[in-house]
Amino acid sequence: MRLIARPPLILLGAAALSLLAACGDERPPLAQNLSADALPSTANAARGRQLVSKHGCLACHAVPTVRGPASAVGPPLDNLGRQAYLTGLLPNTPANLVRWLMDPPAINPRTAMPNVGLSQAEAQDIAAFLLSLPKGQEAQ
Amino acid sequence: MRRWPRIAAWCVAALAVAGAAVGSAVVYFGWYDVSATGPHTMPVYALLDVASTRSVKLRSADIKVPDLDSPQRIRRGDALYRAHCAQCHGGPGQAPEPYALGLNPPPPPLVTSARERPAAEVFWIIRQGIKMTGMPAWQYRMTDEQIWDVVGYLRVLPTLSAQQYRDAAPSGDPASGAAPASIAPTEARPSGVRAGDRRVGEMGAGEMGVANMPAGDVRVGDVRAGDMRLGDAKAGRDALQQYLCVTCHAIPGVPGARHYVGPSLDGMADRSRIAGVVPNSPDSMQQWLMDPQRIKPGTAMPALGLREQDARDIAAFLQTLSNVE
Repeated sequence: MRLIARPPLILLGAAALSLLAACGDERPPLAQNLSADALPSTANAARGRQLVSKHGCLACHAVPTVRGPASAVGPPLDNLGRQAYLTGLLPNTPANLVRWLMDPPAINPRTAMPNVGLSQAEAQDIAAFLLSLPKGQEAQ
Repeated sequence: MRRWPRIAAWCVAALAVAGAAVGSAVVYFGWYDVSATGPHTMPVYALLDVASTRSVKLRSADIKVPDLDSPQRIRRGDALYRAHCAQCHGGPGQAPEPYALGLNPPPPPLVTSARERPAAEVFWIIRQGIKMTGMPAWQYRMTDEQIWDVVGYLRVLPTLSAQQYRDAAPSGDPASGAAPASIAPTEARPSGVRAGDRRVGEMGAGEMGVANMPAGDVRVGDVRAGDMRLGDAKAGRDALQQYLCVTCHAIPGVPGARHYVGPSLDGMADRSRIAGVVPNSPDSMQQWLMDPQRIKPGTAMPALGLREQDARDIAAFLQTLSNVE
């Protein structure tokens, strides 16, 4: 039995070693200040999650971790933090995300997304929540 | 009881010989499809992807990154980018040249690389190139300092809107190297999109294809309305590999479509609007695909020169992406 048991152990060891090597030095990506860390420190992702329900975002968007009607008027918001552009017009920086959330028609007058009357602090909370969402499943 | 190791060894040996024979046959008789139109299968794609990611990570580990933020560096990098990179990788709102659309693997938009890869890896890839991908090594054509200039510019690229990228282009020859107007990493102001100022978008998709294709290969004009067939989802699935859709959108079931430049196309058939502005129907999808700038001026999605039938087929394929049972 021991002969058979050994190869998987060796494989496990190799896998663990390569994982360790991978974790060794994670370098930051080239483009910086694009994550939730670039928002003001007052921005609170947990509050943002509640605001997403309160302001009816779920009526149009599927948002991971927030339960509600399955709606697909707008695109799903998982992976928003990885997306390079917002509504195709704005580079997806935290500051632009806040601007877009506060007044979408100001950026694209024809957009179907309404201005729901968020304050700047509320928009920052929601931005912090959306940018900190766990990565969605890779498209398979 | 004592004979089983020997039997096992023979079995393993026989399997190895059979495997080698099958492998040789696949190679010798040409059964492996090397065409650029035949996409990799998911396992092959995943294997190559991991191999290249890990290889780049290992080989770039010791590279020291210089200061990348000086405005002069970024200006020089901008000129180099437009002269040597945009032809295949495109830019915000700018499509790559027609010859780059058919590359397999497709050249990724570099905003994703800048958002995902560390500076040292980007430098290494530009310098050394990547085998069998179409990415050339620039080591013998650019100094290391120039390569860092490009890396510096790529750091700024994700903060530019399509409008800003276009406005910063030097007038006339894009390769002239003239200092671009202003590409400081500022926040976007796309609300100033002028309707009359659509240098990229004002060309119709058809014209664009015709203008850029070699004379012997113009097929756009040959297709008369009567020759068109209904949208075919399967043909659309093949066609979307040829227009770089996969480099910007996550598309369920399509190998390599795991980038998030634009939104995921998962459940696109259920969505009520295209780009947030027009109601989602196969007809308007077809028009959107052929000329996004006409429907939404200023969008980062470029006109990729789709032929009408391809647009119709891809629209039909997108209609199959539904999550509603």
